[in-house]
Amino acid sequence: MNVESATFHPVSNDEVAMFGTAPIPVGPYHDPAYYALEREAVFKRAWLHIGHVSELPQPGSFIVRNIEAARASILIVRGKDGALRAFYNVCTHRGTELVAQSSGMATTFSCRYHMWTFNDRGDLRGAPDFERFFLDKADCGLTKVAVGVAAGLLFVNLAPEPEQSLAEFLGPLQAELEQLPCAKATAFAEYVYEIDANWKLVYDNFQENYHLRFIHPRSVGESATSPVNPFGYPRRFEFVGVHRKQALWINPEHVPGQLQGDALTRLADDALTGGFEELMAESEYFAVFPNFFMLNSPVLPFSHTVFPIGPEKSRGVIRFYWSGEDQCATQRFAREFAVAATRDIHAEDRSVIEAGQRGISSGAIKHIHFQAQEALCRHFFNSVDAAVKAYEAELALKGVAA
Amino acid sequence: MTLRSVLPAKFATLEPFVEKWALTTSRERSHERENSSLAEMRHFYDVAAPCLKDALAYLDAKSLDSFQPEDERLMALCLSLAHVTLAVEVQGEAEPQNAQYRHEMRITRTTAERAN
Repeated sequence: MNVESATFHPVSNDEVAMFGTAPIPVGPYHDPAYYALEREAVFKRAWLHIGHVSELPQPGSFIVRNIEAARASILIVRGKDGALRAFYNVCTHRGTELVAQSSGMATTFSCRYHMWTFNDRGDLRGAPDFERFFLDKADCGLTKVAVGVAAGLLFVNLAPEPEQSLAEFLGPLQAELEQLPCAKATAFAEYVYEIDANWKLVYDNFQENYHLRFIHPRSVGESATSPVNPFGYPRRFEFVGVHRKQALWINPEHVPGQLQGDALTRLADDALTGGFEELMAESEYFAVFPNFFMLNSPVLPFSHTVFPIGPEKSRGVIRFYWSGEDQCATQRFAREFAVAATRDIHAEDRSVIEAGQRGISSGAIKHIHFQAQEALCRHFFNSVDAAVKAYEAELALKGVAA
Repeated sequence: MTLRSVLPAKFATLEPFVEKWALTTSRERSHERENSSLAEMRHFYDVAAPCLKDALAYLDAKSLDSFQPEDERLMALCLSLAHVTLAVEVQGEAEPQNAQYRHEMRITRTTAERAN
């Protein structure tokens, strides 16, 4: 009998009381006007995770990512000099979307409309019959977007002049993220889903364990719940500015199915040989504001980003960052299992989140409620709402000035 | 004329499953699970699970890029078994109910597929 399993102490109500106890209004979870404010206050100001350095492995690699919340298509290029640069994927002639492919290799980018051609630094290099314009080419470069890398993860910031550098934004989280598999990964697996639900409602589902035993009785089940911790509550919460962390509890007495056990053992062995021994003790969860989290489970480590598409529509992107391509058949089997197992859990979540959105959007209730073990949801709401309120105050000031 | 074996000889007992389960991509494998009955999957699992360790050991002895077509088929069967294991060992009777939720979860990339 493992001593650890004999007792479990959840985070107390008092420890999270500082975030408030009041009911939360439903408006922010469906109101188009609130969503419009979030787009400006959050998605055009915060650093947003949109990819991984392994997608831009060599000079000339590029990717294009749509950020619907900002109505923006972003082109990220690794230049001939090896540096990463990001631009709005918009030709500066008449605004046409410049690159149609989602990824590829190129050192120049030509707009198909009138053949304006830009180099890997975003400079306009050529434009047919340019002497008929009333312009200097030097003034026609692609609009730059701030881009940064932390732990192998790519972030962009759509503010013309970001208030914080990426390092300032992540603060102490960056050093911790740098210890995770994503920092060294050269390969990844991915699955994607669309969902009829507000991005915060989607994200909240993955910030609390209260639902585990009801929604995932089999797919999670006794791996994270037991008589001493029937709801599978976390061992610890931590709040770092607008970001948050939690240490998830693993039931040490859980016995997986036979092949399931073989696959999980292999995944754990790979993590150990990958040098992640210290990370194996517990499942650490990192939530980076606004819409990204990384679950560093010892056996099923994945990242999850929830992109808003509209006030009641989102897209989830789940990734498993691996230390390299498959080395052998057993590793390939274990990784296939990891993706399929996590996908099962997220499919169960997706169904109940949509049901939640339907209820909220019906107008039947004015508030939702977060208990102490849903403190991350409350902290998240508070963080978003503070950004929205600050933006509204700015607008009001401008209105007064005008 | 000799026909090449469908699978490496020592795994001949798995040949009846090749047509249904030796699929190329992770997405195809996940779809096949979602479109199969629990009884079909239990049958595959019952026959294939006892062979998995041997099959992976046999394949581990080769480098992934040196697989012959029969090795690729054996690998694909093992990978389908990863999906089927979730249906049989984890979901059990809840599999039909939960399968419907998975249609919207699109696998877009795996390390197993990239090699194909």
